[in-house]
Amino acid sequence: MARVITVTSGKGGVGKTTTTANLGTALARYGARVALIDADIGLRNLDVVMGLENRIVYDLVDVIEGRARVRQALIKDKRLPEMYLMPAAQTRDKDAVNAEDMIALANEMHTDFDYILIDSPAGIESGFRNAIACANEVLIVTTPEVPSVRDADRVVGLVEASEKGPPRLIINRIKPRLVSRGEMLSVDEVVEILAIEPIGVVPEDEVILSSTNRGEAAVFNAQSIAGRAFDDIARRLRGEEVPFMDMSEQPGVLERWFGGLFRRRAKA
Amino acid sequence: MGFLDNLFGNNKRDRSAQVAKERLLTVLVHDRVKLTPDMLEQLKIELSEVIARYVPNVNPSEIDVSLLRGDSSDHLKADVPLRRTPPTGGNESDRASARFDSR
Repeated sequence: MARVITVTSGKGGVGKTTTTANLGTALARYGARVALIDADIGLRNLDVVMGLENRIVYDLVDVIEGRARVRQALIKDKRLPEMYLMPAAQTRDKDAVNAEDMIALANEMHTDFDYILIDSPAGIESGFRNAIACANEVLIVTTPEVPSVRDADRVVGLVEASEKGPPRLIINRIKPRLVSRGEMLSVDEVVEILAIEPIGVVPEDEVILSSTNRGEAAVFNAQSIAGRAFDDIARRLRGEEVPFMDMSEQPGVLERWFGGLFRRRAKA
Repeated sequence: MGFLDNLFGNNKRDRSAQVAKERLLTVLVHDRVKLTPDMLEQLKIELSEVIARYVPNVNPSEIDVSLLRGDSSDHLKADVPLRRTPPTGGNESDRASARFDSR
């Protein structure tokens, strides 16, 4: 039986699709059978983030409307043989799918996968409700910014009302330098405000942009600090105890070169 | 660091993260409780009516009602000043207005 995990956020542009792609990839690298479902009908993007946009023949709406079978619509990943993507339809809108359709789809895929990750659309309307309808677990992505945290709180309320069990929080795009200067909300502050359990903290990382440019998940890049943070979240999902990454200030260039010197002096 | 922060006007209270946190705590509880400004005004008037039955000298315009976010529950906090009458005599503003009246 697959664990069905929906990644949602309320506000757009906070990293739902990046999170879904990286968590799915990390889980598949640990040997899990993973299906990613893009539930953002009409604004699909998980395909391009995964670098699979050229292989789409059928999509989610084709499956729901009976033009294709689940197996025909699932696209095998380029690198990981146990990971598949179910793309969203691009030329339809969210009314093409309802909650029962999503539940039926997840039920049909249940036995073939260990994890089904659903990339939710932004907002709190039907697209979001469809995306959480079939979930056993919900992950809410926020950045440490006022509009994003506010929208996340709305979604927390809606998820709690839907009796899915408590959602867990991913704080994305943290800039440790700004946090230490008191110009960005810290992990502790965001957790205190939203009052839900965090499952991961992800620092801002330029590698995410270049990875997305290439259509490869950042977890493949050992140099990517965000990739490592997503890998940590995947391990926590698997039940491992992984300490949270330290989000206090990363050393700047000067400090990295002369850090030892400064520290020795500070002690003296 | 403390004195450097003060030197550059980087007081903890002035930092934007602290401002963000305080604003969020307020806006979130208002989002959840859905108390409109009109309803809040009406609440103050009715509160003052009820309180006036028990204690004198309540002015609805002086009541401060705020919503606060707590850990497990939100709080509606009302601060109801009770005017001391007759005036306790001789505070600065009373004297000032008396002088003004006498001209």
